Amino acid sequence: MSFKEKNIVVTLINFTLIELFLLIRVLVMTQSDTFTRENVFRMFGIIVFFAVVVTVIGIILANFGATIWEAIRTGEKDPDFEYFEDERDKSIDLRGTQATYTVSSLGSFIAMLAFIYGQSALVMFCLLIFFGLLAQIIGDVTRLALYRRGF
Amino acid sequence: MGETRITNNIRTLRFLNDEMTQKDLAKKVGVTRQTIVAIENAKYSPSLEVAFRIAEVFGVPLTEVFSYESGDET
Repeated sequence: MSFKEKNIVVTLINFTLIELFLLIRVLVMTQSDTFTRENVFRMFGIIVFFAVVVTVIGIILANFGATIWEAIRTGEKDPDFEYFEDERDKSIDLRGTQATYTVSSLGSFIAMLAFIYGQSALVMFCLLIFFGLLAQIIGDVTRLALYRRGF
Repeated sequence: MGETRITNNIRTLRFLNDEMTQKDLAKKVGVTRQTIVAIENAKYSPSLEVAFRIAEVFGVPLTEVFSYESGDET
């Protein structure tokens, strides 16, 4: 698994867990009548924190662990890693971004539609976060699939 | 227009060049080993620049590394 693939796997796991957290949290809030502006914005803060900080730490730890593992496996002090992006990586990244934008645009449209048809602004906000996370997940799955397939 | 295919002789050329590893070729060309694997297995068509660099590493013309097959039967 290449450096890029490892990063994608870490991001994918992190964003899938955040998406599950969002779904469970919204379900609990709606069932216990605590679906308020304060709680939704607090949840949004937690999501942003985990999306940024945990992803960065996760990527650092994953690559740190992989370097140690490679050093133990090969017996080399400074294992040779390919930490750069070439043209194939860029093409795959572009296709992943295309998938992300498609889902994100569709999600924004659905969220706006929900608002137009009488749902509250909080519901629209939650839908926007949900589809934003889903877009990232689908983009990462696309990238990973392209890496596994060759291109 | 019919199906088109780009085939390559990278595996043969690596063998003829002292069994050059994919990693060594990748380093010389300036791409990742995974990209060389994808090109070798005809799963990825490289840019013209990378194609020329591969040919340059083996010291052969581009047409000896890559060949183009058109699906059109004329």
